[in-house]
Amino acid sequence: MIPAFHTIAATLAADASPTGTVWLPPAASTLAGNVDAMFNAINYICYFFFAVIVVAMVYFVVKYRARKGQAFRSDAPLHNLPLETTWGAVPLLIVIGIFYVGFRDYLNMSTPPKNAYVVQVTAQKWAWNFKYPTGATSDDLYVPAGRPVQLTMRASDVLHCCYIPDFRVKKDLVPGRYSYLWFQADEPTPSGQGHHLFCTEYCGTGHSNMNRKVYVLPEADFDKWLTEQGQWLDKIPEEELFFRAGPKIYARCQQCHALDGTKGIGPSWKGIWARTHGGEGSDQKFADGSSYASLIGPGKKYATPEDYLRNSILNPGSELVSGYGNAMPSFKGQLNDKAIDAVIGMMQHMDDFDPKTGKYLKEAPVAPKVSMK
Amino acid sequence: MTTIDASRPIDLASRPDNYLTHTRGFMSWALTLDHKRIGVMYMVAVLVSFFVGGVFALLVRTELLTPGQTIPGVTADVYNQLFTLHGAIMVFLVIIPSIPAALGNFVLPIMLGAKDVAFPRLNLGSFYLWLFGAAFTLVSLAMGGFDTGWTFYTPYSTTTTAGGVIPVLFGVFILGFSSIFTGMNFVVTVHKLRPPGMTWFRMPLFLWALYSTALIQVLATPVLAITLMLLVVERTINIGIFDPSMGGDPVLFQHFFWFYSHPAVYIMILPAMGIISELISVHAHRHIFGYKFIALSSIAIAIFSFLVWGHHMFASGQSPLLNTLFSLISFSVAIPSAVKVFNWLTTLYKGNISLTTPMMYALSFLVLFTIGGLTGLHLATLNTDVHLHDTYFVVAHFHYVMMGSALIGMIGGLHHWWPKMTGKMYSERTGTAACIIIFIGFNVTFFTQFFLGSQGMPRRYYDYQPEFQVYHVISTIGSYIMASGFLLTAYCLITSLFSGKKAAANPWGGGSLEWQCASPPPHDNFATQPSVGDCYDFRAMKWDEATQGYEIDPALAAEAAKHPLH
Repeated sequence: MIPAFHTIAATLAADASPTGTVWLPPAASTLAGNVDAMFNAINYICYFFFAVIVVAMVYFVVKYRARKGQAFRSDAPLHNLPLETTWGAVPLLIVIGIFYVGFRDYLNMSTPPKNAYVVQVTAQKWAWNFKYPTGATSDDLYVPAGRPVQLTMRASDVLHCCYIPDFRVKKDLVPGRYSYLWFQADEPTPSGQGHHLFCTEYCGTGHSNMNRKVYVLPEADFDKWLTEQGQWLDKIPEEELFFRAGPKIYARCQQCHALDGTKGIGPSWKGIWARTHGGEGSDQKFADGSSYASLIGPGKKYATPEDYLRNSILNPGSELVSGYGNAMPSFKGQLNDKAIDAVIGMMQHMDDFDPKTGKYLKEAPVAPKVSMK
Repeated sequence: MTTIDASRPIDLASRPDNYLTHTRGFMSWALTLDHKRIGVMYMVAVLVSFFVGGVFALLVRTELLTPGQTIPGVTADVYNQLFTLHGAIMVFLVIIPSIPAALGNFVLPIMLGAKDVAFPRLNLGSFYLWLFGAAFTLVSLAMGGFDTGWTFYTPYSTTTTAGGVIPVLFGVFILGFSSIFTGMNFVVTVHKLRPPGMTWFRMPLFLWALYSTALIQVLATPVLAITLMLLVVERTINIGIFDPSMGGDPVLFQHFFWFYSHPAVYIMILPAMGIISELISVHAHRHIFGYKFIALSSIAIAIFSFLVWGHHMFASGQSPLLNTLFSLISFSVAIPSAVKVFNWLTTLYKGNISLTTPMMYALSFLVLFTIGGLTGLHLATLNTDVHLHDTYFVVAHFHYVMMGSALIGMIGGLHHWWPKMTGKMYSERTGTAACIIIFIGFNVTFFTQFFLGSQGMPRRYYDYQPEFQVYHVISTIGSYIMASGFLLTAYCLITSLFSGKKAAANPWGGGSLEWQCASPPPHDNFATQPSVGDCYDFRAMKWDEATQGYEIDPALAAEAAKHPLH
């Protein structure tokens, strides 16, 4: 019996479509073929039983309708042990078959190959961070084509879940534990188009926007990207940092911090330079009753505004602006000093950025020497 | 089993004194110990909650018409509260109590041939606990609501800033006890109050279903109560049980939660299955096919229900070995479910089918439960569940089971016993039309969501990718169709109270004991001890034009007695 399941599964695997079907999105990983074959096989079983049940039901209802004035017939069978045993046993055999094929494939899915390329993944409300063996990090996931990739994942606040529909893979990220997920994508993604990566474990306000792209690059391109990615910040001169690096880093902040003064999950960055420098808004209170003016300055808790801003990025809970919850995760280990300089620089030149998009307005954008993609 | 005894004492004559007119005044209801009145109060409470939960559902669907914000003022945070409230209300306030506590309370003692449940005071207490539980949910809304999802997964639920989490946890805790009280009452009633002749295998199948359900309620609900208390303890005094930052384990919470909440799915569906057994055989005027298989499959489902909770956690990081075992055992539930469906189907064979409103609901149930059950295969299978877990495929699947099956079964049962409860007949034409509208609307709403889910749309999403929009629009239109069907149902039933024809004692031709007492039943149910025959032997039933109901025809009964069915 079991070889028969193998044969059926292999036949159906041909159904996996790189462009997707009415039921399934494009199949873009080596695991997707078997999953799609199983899904389609179960669908056919469902169509069959659904048709049998509905056709029989409609037929009986039409044929055995009570007719007015006619006496009720009473020749119907009350039970039939062989029949009832059969329709218990046939589904049993079918589900054992389904179980077996699904289980066999699941073992493959849950065992990352030894030679897999490992990417460290950290999820937090409401951002993903992907860290590569070279130390480079990115917000979208980049992987080499034709090579197994293992994601070693952890969550730093609540449960999250990494789901890449086109690869048919999904795994929860649990705070306090590491979890693995692996896949192999053979086809590079066309330029500018990535596969969706969704968070599928409910995590609050920004849950539905906690999605990113997965880019599959040919091995050589991937290596080149990785090298550039590790150095992109280093290659930008100090004086250009705030407008070259600032907006890119801000992309991770914009979920919660608007630039146009709108109240988000966190306070807007508009006017933040004035607030921290004793200007307009410096009387804004914190949850503990202190204010910008009473905290920042020589001899106070923060000797300079930069100290305050840096600490707000690394220890966001230490001062909460009144009216906002303690929602921001720490960016310790994710933004280095140069990146923090870029963010502070951007805050200083807030008027030079488009308040809606965060684009730098002052200078005609020069083609950047190094792009972050 | 014996055949129908034409001489059995039947108080068919509708007496002016019935349970509704027996005593009067507010206090006669507030302090009543009559299971029928408690059932009616539960029914009103459940239907009001259903309306509220339905309004939240429509708000959720409307918000999803477009990606991003659709309704002014409904931000991501508001949306998260809306779907949480919809889920919590529908599960804890509506579906779990709907059939056992509302219909079951009314019908179970009469069907059994008893004057009341074993513990009438406990029964009233159960209703007041329900009210307290519901009140706590309202208090929670006043204190800032809750946005945890009805599943209360940690550590989100212990760290969220929403102010209403603690009160709603207490509310669900109290509702759990209300459920336990009902379950205990039913177990004892079925064991102890069966009249002479009512053997286990003469009980109507609805009673087998309620009995199986009651066992789950008594055994599983305490686990939920303990889990919720642990959550309260963690959130209030920071004892680390589930939160890893305090040394706890969030996956442990999921085990505890689903150890109750998976059996709870069967608390919802088993009684509906019992109702369908009654509806199909009574309205097909045909002996139920395979009585023992249906009865025992209820018990089998109740037992299996305790062994499959881990299939909610295939992606949670629990070990592949556990996942494998839970997948295997989950499939076993398919067998008793399939047996039931095939037996109902065969009950239509060579029947005498009347397409009454209850029968239309029973047929709807058959189609919807078949879809809900079959799509369970995709989710019990390990490799396909990885793709489908936490997507709209799951949303569609459980709505087919919990709404398309459990709630449709409940509404079908309500139409079946409505003449008995109120003494009035509703308009068959309106009732049938509403049923068809609900059936169409339901499928437009939820079948679309299978495509959404298998295409990769995650659940609990406020914002979504533009390629999903067309499905969301269709689904939302379906929900409006469905809502209009429910409004028509409400119109049909409410107008029947004022202008409906007087109901006969036995308008459908049922054989179980509740059709032997008047509509509405007298306060004591039975003037004398009823005698019990085969409740699915309808051969002696004859339509009586004068009373607009079925009567036992002595000539047919004598003929039937000559040809025992077994």
